[in-house]
Amino acid sequence: MVQVIYSPKWFYGGDIIIDLVSIFVLLSIALFSLRSYKIRKNRNYIYLAVSFIVLAGSFLFRILTNFTVYYNILETRDLGFVNLTYQTIKASDALFIVGFFVYRLLNLLGLYMLYSIYNKQPKSNIFLIVYLIFVSTTFNKLTYHVFHLTSFTLLALITRQYFKNYSKNRKKVTKFIGYSFGVVASSEIFFELVTVTTRFYVVAEIVQLIGYTLLLGAFFMVLRYGREKDKD
Amino acid sequence: MEGKRTRIDIIGDMLSSILDKGGEIKPTHLMYKSNMSHTQMKLYLEDLIAKEFVRKIRKGNYEYITISDKGCSFLQKLKEVKEFEEAFGL
Repeated sequence: MVQVIYSPKWFYGGDIIIDLVSIFVLLSIALFSLRSYKIRKNRNYIYLAVSFIVLAGSFLFRILTNFTVYYNILETRDLGFVNLTYQTIKASDALFIVGFFVYRLLNLLGLYMLYSIYNKQPKSNIFLIVYLIFVSTTFNKLTYHVFHLTSFTLLALITRQYFKNYSKNRKKVTKFIGYSFGVVASSEIFFELVTVTTRFYVVAEIVQLIGYTLLLGAFFMVLRYGREKDKD
Repeated sequence: MEGKRTRIDIIGDMLSSILDKGGEIKPTHLMYKSNMSHTQMKLYLEDLIAKEFVRKIRKGNYEYITISDKGCSFLQKLKEVKEFEEAFGL
């Protein structure tokens, strides 16, 4: 039987709220990027928007999966029927496998798309990486760890890219974006440690929340600087 | 060295030049301030008037170009978009 839940009982639902905040941040930036494309006609806006939408989609799958699993477990615990509980947990297992497979696949694809904006990839590379992402999230006994390690690697590369951009443009906002992705990357380390104690799951979720809140802050900085320039 | 200006960059420069002059400018000044040829400016100006970003007004013997509210809000959007582009390295 697969491990259905990593969250401690007292944190049920907390992760859902944090994922909702992450979705809000990602979709806000994606929508702005799509609106910007209409003005600037630069394809990178579309790529950024799509990668953020795919990432938001991955969190949506995680929410749906977690919500159903928590709901089923809490409901069957209240009913107290052993058989019913067993069947629900089995059903939750199937849901967990499918839901989290889609979550992991979309998450890695979204991060890879974001990484590819700054490091243009030949078509052959794209097929190879997408294939490897698919394989690593499917045929692997250590899927959980492989996923978080891959996610950490991609996020670390994206963070590095933003700091490289900062060294060229010397913009505070770019540095801030770098920090936010760095914090999200570090949340992956705590997700890796969940097998030690489930408390790390809570730490990882809170660190993820901090990362996406910083990203939202960076986005507001962009809008504010744009307006300030207008006043100059 | 800066690359070739895109169409939207030129529009942005034109609107900024008008705003820098307090919202109204003479066509010749606009041409110099936006680094454009006469033909180029005529084409862009027609486009901006059609989009209601600017208006032509006459004061005595002189003709002026004024920026509209629509033009101001477009310029603000454009600056936000440019800031976004630079910040995210797009």
